Amino acid sequence: MPFVRKPTGQSPGPVADASSILGNLISGAADERWAAARAAADVPGAVTTLAAALRNESDSRVREAMFTSLARIGTSESADLLISFLRSDSANLRAGALDALRITIGGMPELLPRLLGDRDADMRILSCDLARILPSPEATTLLCTLLAGEPEANVCAAAIDVLAEVGGPAALPALAACAQTFHDNPFLVFAIKTATDRINSHHSSSRA
Amino acid sequence: MVFSEAKRYYVERRVVERMSATGSGTFASYFARLRTDAQGEIEQFVNAFTVNETYFYREDHQLKCLTTDLLTERLRHKRKGDSIRIWSAPCSTGEEPYSVAMWLLENWPLVDEYDIEIIGSDIDTAVLEAARAGIFGKRALMRLTPYLIEKYFAPMGEENWQILDELRTSVQFSAANIVELNETRPFGQFDVIFCRNVLIYFDDASRRVAAENLFENLLPGGFICLGHTESMSRISPLFEVRRFADAIVYQRPAGST
Repeated sequence: MPFVRKPTGQSPGPVADASSILGNLISGAADERWAAARAAADVPGAVTTLAAALRNESDSRVREAMFTSLARIGTSESADLLISFLRSDSANLRAGALDALRITIGGMPELLPRLLGDRDADMRILSCDLARILPSPEATTLLCTLLAGEPEANVCAAAIDVLAEVGGPAALPALAACAQTFHDNPFLVFAIKTATDRINSHHSSSRA
Repeated sequence: MVFSEAKRYYVERRVVERMSATGSGTFASYFARLRTDAQGEIEQFVNAFTVNETYFYREDHQLKCLTTDLLTERLRHKRKGDSIRIWSAPCSTGEEPYSVAMWLLENWPLVDEYDIEIIGSDIDTAVLEAARAGIFGKRALMRLTPYLIEKYFAPMGEENWQILDELRTSVQFSAANIVELNETRPFGQFDVIFCRNVLIYFDDASRRVAAENLFENLLPGGFICLGHTESMSRISPLFEVRRFADAIVYQRPAGST
């Protein structure tokens, strides 16, 4: 047989102490930053250092590991940091923060209503996408509440897009009201009709 | 592992099984046993929740891809006699790593020119024992031709076959939880990892951690094969998607240190 067996019980490597993990996050070589980013979730008080490190991190692999650690930390402090990155001019930081928030919001139910009520329309648009991971009744309630008072057509479009995918029949009145409010916006009228048809068809096939 | 409300019956059934197996008359007494890990109950409990049904040559299009494309690429970085490391995680009762070994023997003409190391890992220690024993029923062998069964197995009674000792001792089995970095790091780096149909059982955070662990366990340019319903792109952007004639697989970028 051409197969070989070798001992696999190598040591996982030395365990770095908290101060060297935090130090490496900022000033280590790429591999050290990667290892530190992965270990940071278990280091008390790492959020502040992760925030500073993320702003300057150029290696996409390390950046992903930092976002994973922030998602694992899952405190209001780490969530606030992720939200601050949603406001960033950097698309990389916005995308990474959005992915991490998808993980975080499951354990922090107060977070998404707050984001959907943000004063910045771009934040509300990004936040609509986070509702995709919620159970249908919860996503429907949150997005219908948003639609009821939303003045920006682009935010409504984002909410309608998510409702078309995960919304239940309870969304139909809010969609109809939105169609009336934006009756002079052909795209929204079309999007609402598509979402309504989809919800009706899902509902009727699940009843059948 | 994460179980939604839809899996309540699945969870209940296994808790009841463990209560019965340990002679616990009430849930409270079983829970106390679990919390104190009396007689290794935590491990037994975890074992009860893992899904271990598989069979030889499952999703063999990925095995075709292994010998047609993946190893061809990996050989660009190797000389004759170098090692090729392949990891099956989770390996359940051994069908997958033994399938890889058989497939290489049958379909890869260069098999004798390299030191090939095949390791199977699973969180479930009971299935690892079964994998080491290498005894399989009819269902596990259903996709193998009579030729392959005769060549690589010895019958054990009417319903069971044992994989030949020579092959059985060629594959190494070792426990690992792919979400735990301290458990995956000691395995070192691999050319190809088969990690099929396990990430779907994790929550989003665990999936990302597992993806990062697997990234570390791949050599730069190494490949990871997931189950056909799974997509690494939805879990982590660390890997590049590679589309080959027989399979879509994921690759650790060659330039990543």
